Amino acid sequence: MTSTPALLTLLLTVATSTAPPYEIESVRLRYTQFHQTGLGYQSAAGPPGAPGSEWARVEQPQAEVTARLGERITERVWIPVDVVTAASPDHSRYGRPYDAVDTVTTASRSTPSGTVDTFTTYHWDRVTDFTMRAAFHSEEPFESWIVGLGASRSFAEDNTVVGVSANQILDWFDHFSLDGNRHGRATRSTTNVNVDVTQVLSQTTLANFSYGGTIQVGTLGNTWSSVQLADGSRGEERLPGHRLRNAATGRVAQWLPWNGALTLSYRAYLDSWGIAAHSSEGTLAQRLPAGLTLRANYRIHWQSAPGFFTIAGDPAGLGFRTSDSDLGRLHAQTFGGALLLDLPLARRARDLHVDIGYERYLRSDNLRVDVTTCAVGFRF
Amino acid sequence: MTSPPRIARGLAALVAVVTLVLATAFAGCVVVPQNRRYSVADPLLRYQTVGVDAPAHQKLSGSRAAAAGGAGTPAGGGCACQ
Repeated sequence: MTSTPALLTLLLTVATSTAPPYEIESVRLRYTQFHQTGLGYQSAAGPPGAPGSEWARVEQPQAEVTARLGERITERVWIPVDVVTAASPDHSRYGRPYDAVDTVTTASRSTPSGTVDTFTTYHWDRVTDFTMRAAFHSEEPFESWIVGLGASRSFAEDNTVVGVSANQILDWFDHFSLDGNRHGRATRSTTNVNVDVTQVLSQTTLANFSYGGTIQVGTLGNTWSSVQLADGSRGEERLPGHRLRNAATGRVAQWLPWNGALTLSYRAYLDSWGIAAHSSEGTLAQRLPAGLTLRANYRIHWQSAPGFFTIAGDPAGLGFRTSDSDLGRLHAQTFGGALLLDLPLARRARDLHVDIGYERYLRSDNLRVDVTTCAVGFRF
Repeated sequence: MTSPPRIARGLAALVAVVTLVLATAFAGCVVVPQNRRYSVADPLLRYQTVGVDAPAHQKLSGSRAAAAGGAGTPAGGGCACQ
């Protein structure tokens, strides 16, 4: 058997080869709380014929570690955990005759979910990087696997950087009917490609343009959202089995002579369900004495609704229909601020980072989310 | 009347062409030497879409709006909320 010595040689080589030096570059911890109030027609947690409650709270601790393995590999491991209360409409709080999926999944009360997200960068040479992403997400009735590959190359003495990437996501989750019965598992595939160009425009100006195209196939809803029908009852949501989504973003970042920075961006979106959206965002940051930075941001988003959106569906209808307020015609504004502290350290760590921030998300359909966040981290 | 999928495909093709043209046109049109790029290299000008330092509102725009994606991130998938 000639293969046995070859295998032994390979195993010996692997066993005796030394691992590249492993060096932790940074460690970050963040805690964010999302507090949401509002009403939506997809929620049955309300009186008949009216939108139901969308009250929810999300507690989100996160950890991120970045490490360097030898000269060429940088590895980032990110672990966000979401504890979501009232993830699906809780009919029982309103004395509804049926309790929907709550009785089966308990998703209304509390749904912990977690993700392990790894991102590896291989520095091929001075101007070329290859990247790989692998992630797994799990929550009570839902699992998801994510893999991604990418490459970037810089030109003109690093003044231009062009990147491409592709991601594949497979979601696997319980399929429920509105009476709370489980009908096996459902799947959803999401395939995504991105093109990204970053250009230095001057000594103080940076521009970026990116395009992302995504194709989704399979069960594209969560299966427990209900649709408000014209006779006051509720029916199941029916969505098309495929969706092509396009998003293009332009961003300009300008360094300001008084130690500040202004970033402006615009995003256009269009998909095969007929939803169009425009989003603009501005961020102003100002460095202060003693390592402090003050940041303020504002974002406005407008979107149209698909043709099958309804708040009074035909009870006998067989076509596509949704009452999901997230798919409705709306505009949303987000404004917030943050205070950041970066302190150089003399021993063990290179610097300490601390930040605290607040954001408010306001939507034209009266949905409101208050976001509070704080973080601590070290760079080594 | 042009159907939405046709418009979406048209937009996708248009944006892909514009991206390639911009990538080709910008490459080398401005060359700022490395020793004069300290301002554009400042972390304040950086924008992160994934990880601990990604803006908190990005989670909202991904899960509470019909229009996600772009900037290197997929539109949908990976979460029961979408």
